Amino acid sequence: MSDFNSGFFVGGEACNGRVLVVDDEPDIRKVVKMTLQKAGYAVLEAENGEKAIEVINSGENRLMLDVMICDIRMPKVNGAEAIAYFRSNYPHVPLIVLTGFPDTDMATSFLRQGVVDYLVKPVEGEKLRSAVARAMEQRELARL
Amino acid sequence: MEHSDPTKVAILGAGRGGRALLDLLHQIPSIEIVGITDRDPAAPGLQRARTLHIPVTTNVPDLIGNHGVQLIMDVTGNPEMETYLKAHKPPTADILSGSASRLLWKLIQHESKLEAELLQAEKLAGIGSFAAGIAHDINNPLQLILGLAENLAEERDVAAVHEQALDIIEAVKRTSAICRDLTRYSRRASPHEDVSVSINAKLDEALKIARYASSFHDIEMLKQYQPGAAVKGNPDELLHVFVNLITNAVHAMEQAGGTLTLETRVLGGQVDIRISDTGCGIAPEKIPEIFEPFFTTKAPGKGTGLGLYNVNTIVSKMHGQITVESKVDQGSTFTLTFPHAQPAGEGSP
Repeated sequence: MSDFNSGFFVGGEACNGRVLVVDDEPDIRKVVKMTLQKAGYAVLEAENGEKAIEVINSGENRLMLDVMICDIRMPKVNGAEAIAYFRSNYPHVPLIVLTGFPDTDMATSFLRQGVVDYLVKPVEGEKLRSAVARAMEQRELARL
Repeated sequence: MEHSDPTKVAILGAGRGGRALLDLLHQIPSIEIVGITDRDPAAPGLQRARTLHIPVTTNVPDLIGNHGVQLIMDVTGNPEMETYLKAHKPPTADILSGSASRLLWKLIQHESKLEAELLQAEKLAGIGSFAAGIAHDINNPLQLILGLAENLAEERDVAAVHEQALDIIEAVKRTSAICRDLTRYSRRASPHEDVSVSINAKLDEALKIARYASSFHDIEMLKQYQPGAAVKGNPDELLHVFVNLITNAVHAMEQAGGTLTLETRVLGGQVDIRISDTGCGIAPEKIPEIFEPFFTTKAPGKGTGLGLYNVNTIVSKMHGQITVESKVDQGSTFTLTFPHAQPAGEGSP
């Protein structure tokens, strides 16, 4: 499912895509990275919305970033603000929300803003990988 | 209502009834307690009177005869005392005894029960706002546990298995600590007798609870604790006071972040506890209202308006004082002052 022929190379290894994980908890970034690396994704990390904006604006990431996974409850620019920023400035980068607090109103508002998926922690690896794969499909369409 | 001179009251009997009466009357400015008496020198009301610097005596004739007493409150429950008072009271003094004093005692008990109910209601209403914080703090470790366990199912490297298993154990401990803290906080304040409470530890405990109620992101913490700060009181109620004040401080800094300062100081037989924020502040015309019941500046459904009212009730009950300094857009400081508790425990005069 996660095999895309658009794969490029990171550090000499085949890469199915570049994913940015934004979460203030190092544990979450670690375990999401672990889960996605298994499916051949290269994972970048940011601890808050502000750092995420830095990462996304730095060097080649601007062009190469494929998918973002973003928490809501975070310090500095919080998730909701960051998501609004990313949706208006980088509409071509699909976004997945991964949050510890299920909130229907918030989910609806995010999905309306074009967020690909709204996942509630704890999420199984398989579910996360398939959400990323779906987001990758969107990314491919945006490239056409 | 307004008397220029306080009414002079003598309390006869210093058991639980006498002590409750003392606690209540002591808070009323228009009443002066000229003395309290009991046959038992270790009676709880006499101990309380000593900490409040109210005269204690065993000499009933002197107490009722020589201090300009206007009201004699007899809660001894002793029929002989009733007879004695009828025969010996000064002509200008009124007596409250027998069934009248029993009725008063019941009313006081009823009020203290209502007070406890109000406290619990406000606490439980507040816990509703913890949902987001609790979900965040439980689901994050759960995500770690799930991810690691999925990985362990395939992991071949023994060292990695070992390390990840330890991470899981840590995450489980963290999660169970959340439940322990919250159940301890949400239970009804235990009615046990006042004990010496270490203020610094209580503030830290409150900080943990307050983190569920509000986001501490963008808030810098400053602690200036003086070791050994202790006050006498109910630990559960004191925790409630601190959670309330810390939560308010953090809410005041919700928009722009800031610094939360917790400070304790022991000086001249007193303990000062200061909780300061650098948040939005309180408008000067609002300050006199903040301790009133149902006063709130929060949006409908966000606050009960009972927080500071309950804080004030508990602080007065503990014979403490609460003061506020606040400047709009600069922040607020709440200062609590209590008598410093004797670490060895009081008892002998």
